This record gives sequence, C-alpha cells and structure tokens, in this order.
Amino acid sequence: MSVFDDLVGQDTVIEQLRSATRAADDLLAGGAGAGMTHAWLFTGPPGSGRSEAARAFAAALQCPDGGCGHCPSCHQVLTGTHADVLYVRPSGLSFGVDKTRDLVLRAASSPTGGRFRVVLFEDADRATEAASNALLKAVEEPAPRTVWLLCTPTAEDLLVTIRSRCRLVTLRTPTTDAVVDALVRRDGVDPGVAAEAARAAAGDVERARRLATDPATRDRREEVLSIPARLDGLGACVSAAARLYELAEADAKESTSALDEREKADMKAAFGEGSTGKGVAKAVRGAAGALKDLEEQQKRRATRIKRDAYDLALMDLAAFYRDVLAVQMGATVQLSTANRRADLERVAASSTPESTLRRIDAIMECRRRIGANVHPQIAMEAMTAALYLG
Amino acid sequence: MKFRVERDVLADAVAWTARTLPVRPSVPVLAGMLLDAGEHDGRQRLRLSSFDYEVSAQVAVDIDVEEPGTTLVSGRLLAEITRNLPPQTVEISTDGAKVVVSCGSAKFTLLTLPVEDYPTLPAMPEMTGTVGSDVFAAAVSQVAVAAGRDDTLPMLTGVRIEIEGDKVTLASTDRYRLAVRELTWKPQDPELSAVALVPAKTLADTAKSLTSGAEVSIALSAAESGEGMIGFSGGGRRTTTRLLEGDFPKYRALLPDSFNSVAEVQKAEFVEAVKRVSLVAERNTPLRLAFADGRLVLEAGTGDEAQAVEVLEAGLEGDDIQIAFNSAFLLDGLNAIDSDIARLQFTTSTKPAIITGKPADDGGASDYRYLIMPVRLSG
Repeated sequence: MSVFDDLVGQDTVIEQLRSATRAADDLLAGGAGAGMTHAWLFTGPPGSGRSEAARAFAAALQCPDGGCGHCPSCHQVLTGTHADVLYVRPSGLSFGVDKTRDLVLRAASSPTGGRFRVVLFEDADRATEAASNALLKAVEEPAPRTVWLLCTPTAEDLLVTIRSRCRLVTLRTPTTDAVVDALVRRDGVDPGVAAEAARAAAGDVERARRLATDPATRDRREEVLSIPARLDGLGACVSAAARLYELAEADAKESTSALDEREKADMKAAFGEGSTGKGVAKAVRGAAGALKDLEEQQKRRATRIKRDAYDLALMDLAAFYRDVLAVQMGATVQLSTANRRADLERVAASSTPESTLRRIDAIMECRRRIGANVHPQIAMEAMTAALYLG
Repeated sequence: MKFRVERDVLADAVAWTARTLPVRPSVPVLAGMLLDAGEHDGRQRLRLSSFDYEVSAQVAVDIDVEEPGTTLVSGRLLAEITRNLPPQTVEISTDGAKVVVSCGSAKFTLLTLPVEDYPTLPAMPEMTGTVGSDVFAAAVSQVAVAAGRDDTLPMLTGVRIEIEGDKVTLASTDRYRLAVRELTWKPQDPELSAVALVPAKTLADTAKSLTSGAEVSIALSAAESGEGMIGFSGGGRRTTTRLLEGDFPKYRALLPDSFNSVAEVQKAEFVEAVKRVSLVAERNTPLRLAFADGRLVLEAGTGDEAQAVEVLEAGLEGDDIQIAFNSAFLLDGLNAIDSDIARLQFTTSTKPAIITGKPADDGGASDYRYLIMPVRLSG
C-alpha cells in the first residue's frame, strides 16, 4: 500500500514523484538530492486529481518510509492535520495579497518534524496579480527546507516568472477504463453504472463518482441534456435558461450544505458538544469565535461552488453539442451523451456543423460572461436564445 | 484507558496545558488535548499535550495507571470540568468513543476526538543549559515589555536570546524603546555560543508558567540541523516553540556609553506622578520632564487644552535637562526596573535616554537597561 494508490490513471506522474521522493530522502541524508526541488507545479484538467497528487507527494515527503500510507505521518498529511504541511485552499473566488504575505511568512519557518515544510496551494490560479508577485518572492528565495506545491489547471494560469521556477507535474485526463476501475474498486459501484458515469464525466474522477453514487446529480444532468431538444421558440429559451439556473443552484446547494454541516459539527465536537455534565455549555460557547470564522469561510466557498456548478452545467451542454458535431461529421469517437441518441440525431439532422460550432461558441461566451459577473440567469437566457437561433 | 489521579494535580496540569490551545483552531482536532496514560521514563505517568502548530505544551504527572491508553478530548471542556471538580480522587476511563470523568458524586461523559488525526508533537531539542526559574521569569518579563506587537515586522515581535558561555543576554525592541537584560546561567558546554529569536508573548507566558520548578532547562536546536525550535522544561512541564526568522537590529550600537547628566528619582513616587500627569496627555502627546535644582517637574497638555504639572524631588549630576517621552513607554520602563530608585541617564534632549535601577553598590553596573527614544518638542 502506498499514498500514490489513490491516483487514478497517472502512472507516469507516480513514477516521477516516487523518484523525487527518493531524491528527497537522499537530500535529508546529506546527499546531493538530485531530482528534488523546492517548487512544484501540478497541472491537469479538472478532476484529474491535481490536489490529490500534490497531497500524496506531501505525504511521501513527510513519511520516513517514502509514503507508506499507514504511518501516523501519512495519515496526518492525508487528513490535513500534519504540523509541517500548510494547506491553502482559496475558499473565495480570489486569493488576496494580505493572505499571501501571511502565508509566505509561515512558509519560511522551519519544520518541526525535522523533514520538510510543505506548502500545498490548491487552485493557485486564484491568486490575484499582487498576490502572485508576493508568492514569486518566496518561490525565488525559499527557506532551506520549504517545498512549495502549487496546483493549477494549466501551467499558463500562473505568472511566467513563477512557472519558470517550478518543476512541472502534468497529470493527464484519466482514461474511461481507469475511472471505471477506480469507481468499481474503491467505491463499490456496479460496473455498468460506473461505465456510464465515467463516460459522462469525461475524465473527471470526482464528477464521475458523484454521478455514479448520487441519483439526484444524475437526474439533474439528464435534465440539462434535454434542454437542446426543447428549444422551439423564444419562450422556451427563457424558461430553459431559468430551469438551467435552478438546476445549477440546486446542485451547488446540495454540495455546500452537506459539507458545511459536517464541518460545523466537527468544530462543535472539538469544543465539547455532545458531552454531558456541568460546564459543557460554557465550553461549547467558546466555539463561537471559531464557528464565526468557519461560517465566513463557508460563505465565500458557497459563492465559488455556485460558480463551479454553473460551469459544470454549461460544460454538460457543450458536451452535448460536441457529440452532435461528432454525429454530423460521422466521427467514431466515444460519445459522452450516448444515452440521448435520439436527441443527438434530431439536432444533428436539423442543423449544419457550422451552426453547431456557433452554438458551442455561444456556450463558451456564456461561461466567460458569468466569469465577468454577469447575472447567470441573464447570461444563460442570451445563450439559449443563441442556441435556438443556431 | 483507566487511571486515578488527585483532583488538584489534574486540575493544575490541565489548566497549564490548556493555555496553549488555539482559540480559533484551523483544524478542529487542534482544540483537543491529548491524554496519554502509561509507563513514561520508568514511572506510571499521565502525559497531557496540546499543540497549535507553533507552540507545543506537555506536562507529565505521576498517577496510578490501571489500564494504559491514549485519547483525545476537547481541551477547553476538560479544563472547565477539572476546575469545578470537588477535591477528591478523580477517575478517568474510556468507554467506547467516550471518556468518563468521575469524582465523588460528580460524573461527566466526554466525546473523544479522532486521536490518529492529532499532529505529532515536535521532539524536544537537545538540552543546552539551565537557569533559575524565578530569575529567568523576571528577566523575560523585564525584556518582553519592549517587544513590538506589529505582525508586519515579525522580527521585532521576538525576544533575542544571545548565549555566550555562561552569559545570556535578552533583548527586544519595537523601534521606540529597547530593553536589554543580562544574566548568568549554567550551560552544558562552557564554550557555547548561540542566538535565537523567540516570539515574545510565548516566551513571557512560558517563563512565567515554569516557575513551579526550581530550574528551567533551555534546549536550543543547532542551526545547521534546520529545526528552528527552542524548548523549555522544568517541574515536569515542557514546551517547544518555533523560532522567528529575520535579522534583529544591531542594538548594541544604539546603547550610548557616555552621558551628560544622570538623575535619580524614587521609583514609586515617579510612577504615581507620571500616571497622574499623563491623564491630560491626549493620545500621542508627550509627557515633558525638566530636571533642575534637585527637582523634577513633570508637565503634560498644551495651550487651550487641559494641563497638569507636578514637582518631585530628584538628584541630578551634570547638566540640567528638559526632555519629553511617550508616557506609556516611560511607565513600562520604570515598572520593569528592580530597584526602588530609578536612574535616568541623558545625553541631550533629542538623544535616547537610558533607564536603569540604581545598583545596590554604587559602583556596580545594572544588569537591566531600558532605552527610550525622546519625543522631539516643537518650538
């Protein structure tokens, strides 16, 4: 067993990280440590497991046994409580310069466990320009034992000056087979359901798991995919946009509320809730400050999860039109929306490949507009109208 | 896990350990306190630990262990409970995912937190020497008062510890004042030479809390091992803290060695007078001192605003002098000296002044010096 076991379909990356871990051990033992460096950039498409890979690498660096996966150190890194691993998860849409300065300061301190001080920065692309500059300074002149692990979707999402100081770890989109295998082996999903979910998620492991294990998510996706066939007039466009917006909101709410409740319960338990006897009420009141911080963070995260949910719904739509295009061109690729064959055929027959491309462009434009703070429902109305007109 | 312990012993140990619990833990388990009952150092002991990633605290007490074990419970809750227990023997035992604390007729059930998620406490660095706990606590409190509180200048929020053989120098500054204290200690290696920058607040709390034992051991990890930690232990308690990074100002050059005038004032009277006169000093307006003819005149407030004047007796050698200070900084310095008579040394009204206690024998030098920057008076 090893910390790298949970990475789906990333054999090359695992080999790269394993050899870096060996080099790191060599470095600690006083050797040259060739193959180890102080800054790493994990890139890969959404759902390919960037932060999981970075976390596994962090565990391997802290583990005296190269990431055995069962020692206390590995366990602490994987649950997020290790003293020498600093987790940075931008909860909001952006990560500001003040927080970055604070981070740089804490990153510079020496490790307490005698190995490495690891900073795991998920979604480093959310750092603002000023924050990136503050970060650059730390990545340029790192403390002797500090290791930066940055995660972004593509290498282009970071300042070129930061990028040039990082060693690149490129995760690839896992194959459908690898995703199916992971779902069956790890989550005990029925192979048929797993195959369908894996195809639908197009390489996003996390999304595939949700589709495979949560029927509500599956239903919402089906409803999104039924939209193109229903667009038969401007009235339908407006109501389809409204429905699309509702679906995305519902999706976001579901993922947020479960997470929020669990975090709050954990925090309250840490302050003694659920215990009995005199003094419990007073001790639990002590959690108020910590809970307030947590709630603020959750609020920021909720905004972000909503954005992600709109994006997911739009990408499902885009996948539909991509399949339409494939049908129109007679390509024999795997269709991620194969179960809507009738709709695909109908839309394909009633339009030209040029108009399909225009429709995909309209979806991308809608994503861009939402990113620029246009109200999602308005942006979606403009999009469905464009989809209707073709 | 099952053990028995006297209520006072437990309450003391828990209260001390609970001081290090973070108020706003970044991960929930950090709000927990680790209880580890079993054989430690050849004796049956209970070890209590807390850790907030910067500072760790651990205390060991002798107990009767019936069944060894480790568990993690909410630290604040345990502290609250032990404080209110009747003075009898306390029995603590685990029961599935719960910990039962019973004492006399009182009984509490605490939920446990996931002990495997709790971060490993940093190992104690190697011991480098010992110092009397009271002397150390006094010295640290004298120096920590001058440390900065501004997190944007992290190196000024620390106390610099310089070790040179059997001499230890503590120094801290926030750019407006500087406190330096020298003391002797017993190093393991007489040739030892080391420096460390320790967060002032942590150091002050730690030094104060370790006065239960006669001596404090200081453990400083060697710089080349890359572990920037310092550890203190005494009376069964140990704490470690991360050191601060950054260059401390070269403060020795700032301490003047010749003076134009030296004044001596009764400390208690001086402190009272400063407090009274500074009542009319609005924020950031200085307190003015004038030394002449065996008298000290304190004044604050100007022009149309409220004014106050008070006159004290004062010995003066050298030139008459008029100088102005921030009254809070002046009070900090006066309160920190350990003598009934305060000695103030001046060069000119625009140069820093030094406050020390008057040494017992007139020729000796004081081992504590408090440098304070004057406020420049306009006109």
